[in-house]
Amino acid sequence: MKLTRRALLKNSLLLGATAPLSIGSAFAANQANVSQQGQINLYGSNKSTTELGLGLRQLGLKPRYEGRLNPLALSALPSGTLAAGFTDESGIVLLTSLLAGRGRILALGRHESNQHHLLSHRGPIVEPTTIETGSWQASLGREYARLALASARDRHARHFLGTPTTTNVSELSFLVQL
Amino acid sequence: MSTTKRILPKGIAEADFDAALNQFRETIGSESVLTESEQLAPYTKIMMAGDASDYIPSAALLPNDAEQVQELVRICNEYKVPIWTISTGKNLGYGSAAPGETGQVILDLHRMNRILSVDPEVCTALIEPGVTYQQLYDYIQEKGYKLWLDPPAPSAIAGPVGNTLDRGVGYTPYGEHFMFQCGMEVVLANGEMIRTGMGGIENSSSWQVFKWGYGPYIDGLFTQSNYGVVTKMGLWLMPEPPAYRPFLIQYQDPEDIAEIVDVLRPLRISQIIPNAVVIVHTLWDAGTHVVRKHYYDGKESIPREAIERIKQDEGIGEWNVYAALYGTPEQIEVNWNIVEQAFGASGKAKIMYGDEAEQRGGGFEYRSALMKGDMNLQEFGLYNWRGGGGSMWFAPVSQAKGSETKDQTELAQKILGKYGFDYVAEYIVGWRDMHHVIDLLYNREDPEETQRAHDCFAELIDEFAKRGYGLYRTNTEFMEQVAGTFGEPLRNVHTALKNALDPNGILSPGKSGIRQ
Ligand SMILES: Cc1cc2nc3c(=O)[nH]c(=O)nc-3n(C[C@H](O)[C@H](O)[C@H](O)COP(=O)(O)OP(=O)(O)OC[C@H]3O[C@@H](n4cnc5c(N)ncnc54)[C@H](O)[C@@H]3O)c2cc1C
Repeated sequence: MKLTRRALLKNSLLLGATAPLSIGSAFAANQANVSQQGQINLYGSNKSTTELGLGLRQLGLKPRYEGRLNPLALSALPSGTLAAGFTDESGIVLLTSLLAGRGRILALGRHESNQHHLLSHRGPIVEPTTIETGSWQASLGREYARLALASARDRHARHFLGTPTTTNVSELSFLVQL
Repeated sequence: MSTTKRILPKGIAEADFDAALNQFRETIGSESVLTESEQLAPYTKIMMAGDASDYIPSAALLPNDAEQVQELVRICNEYKVPIWTISTGKNLGYGSAAPGETGQVILDLHRMNRILSVDPEVCTALIEPGVTYQQLYDYIQEKGYKLWLDPPAPSAIAGPVGNTLDRGVGYTPYGEHFMFQCGMEVVLANGEMIRTGMGGIENSSSWQVFKWGYGPYIDGLFTQSNYGVVTKMGLWLMPEPPAYRPFLIQYQDPEDIAEIVDVLRPLRISQIIPNAVVIVHTLWDAGTHVVRKHYYDGKESIPREAIERIKQDEGIGEWNVYAALYGTPEQIEVNWNIVEQAFGASGKAKIMYGDEAEQRGGGFEYRSALMKGDMNLQEFGLYNWRGGGGSMWFAPVSQAKGSETKDQTELAQKILGKYGFDYVAEYIVGWRDMHHVIDLLYNREDPEETQRAHDCFAELIDEFAKRGYGLYRTNTEFMEQVAGTFGEPLRNVHTALKNALDPNGILSPGKSGIRQ
């Protein structure tokens, strides 16, 4: 999917004409912050995950599909590894508690019916879920890509009314770094 | 909403806190002093019905050894910085890894994870606080020792030290963990280190086998308390029995709980059934793998009609007893006959083991794993039952008597019903007591529901106390209230001990309602 200039502007994602490229090189320049030149492990096994991956890719990250999240497996990953995806309630409980003293929670999202609740520890969140083209998951992927690179370190929480989620089951998203 | 304000320990000036942080960094290295919001975020995830802003740490410290703990405690004393100690930090539903109150510094001991000894002859272990059950399990497997652990349901990720210090339970015959603890090393608030039991004798070989030592026995003072930081702990391990038979008994009528307990009690006290048996209600047994919405989507407590459908569809009883026999095959046969006779007498019970039990829809597989000390995380499925991330364990104690169980069940169902919550519960049967563990599951994303869950929990505490039932353990939001139910004279002793051992009140202020 091609993002229009308007869509990028609306989501504060337009960093220049070659946004994905410049983000990619910024990752390369910032080894301490982001591993392996924009590589990110992507977890989940439904359409939402595919779309999230699309959004991450649009901003220059290189998602690697890892299938369903097994939080216990995360501890074997090298320090600095970025990970994003969707999981269920028990997955989030396990994931967040396993990160204590071992990693960083950059952002968490709770998405149900037409409500999206996002929490960022990387500064302000722009409204990523009302994009005119494409899915809310792809839009969330772009927002997560932006947060992965953001230098802010403060906590922000926002509630959005947005595009309805596809199911009436809540979907939980995460962006973390080991 | 944004939070950019720096969080400081209560009553500490910014300059003093900065000075303390600098000294912490000198002691354990900068990379072991966490202060950034995204690093501290995992220490802020609570599931209880409290305000998230009340449980934010100002920093986290990750020492590597007991000497570093001593030094950190000395610095805290100098600057009066309060610390909240965790070992593996998985106290989920009791406060998680979050501090007891905003501004405390987390003392996270998970990096102190050495297994110091495992003795396959006397069946003991000596470990540091960061050792997880999985780690100890792997070590024992690797060495080929015929020893079993006794993990709580979060098994792999939790640890024997933290669990035992909060007086947690597991499901083998060694289920009451504090009973099987032997010897501690403790850093006191002034930075001094002591060893309890036989540990005070230099080169003692009995530290892990003889609990009482000489003079007053003090290990209990360091459980559910804030009198010291435990840096080593001894525990007893169960020798692997030659044979093991887990079994399931299902009863279909809500009233049957009284019969179950009265039949079980003599078998449990005489050790015919030696393990920490669980009597699991339908909604817990289903909740580990079924989502509530599939059966009922209303805001009030799930109705009886839906419970009956779950029982039917899932092959689950109203009450599901998971227990096991241990010993030689001959011993197991003898005891099995006794169990069958006792439970078969009224004709209400369906008694099963092996394939038949496995084919029922409840938790036989994961319960069988836990009752032999294997790792399993199936119980986390409970969080998907209602959704929304809210969970609090309400855990009153009762005698193992049918009349009390019936009374507690009815009272809990009445209060939960009033507030629109489900009775997701089990009884864990100790030697003579029972822990009635109810998971109050609610949607933390909904402020009204969170407030309701809070009010419900508070009422449960008070109403149970009025009938003479106290809690064995609780979450940080309700520690004060629960301490109150045990009476002022006991609180005064707790406070006197606190003042004597920790005059600056730096160790886990508020734990179990204890402060200066
Ligand atoms: C699905 C589910 C099922 C559960 N089932 C069980 C169960 O079967 N049995 C059970 O007991 N619990 C159960 N729990 C609750 C809890 O997760 C476990 O008790 C867990 O073992 C506690 O976490 P931990 O072992 O990491 O201890 P920690 O979180 O490290 O410690 C627990 C508490 O002990 C104190 N403490 C820890 N270390 C020290 C120290 N070194 N010095 C002084 N004080 C210290 C602190 O107050 C701390 O808050 C369950 C939780 C969930 C989510």
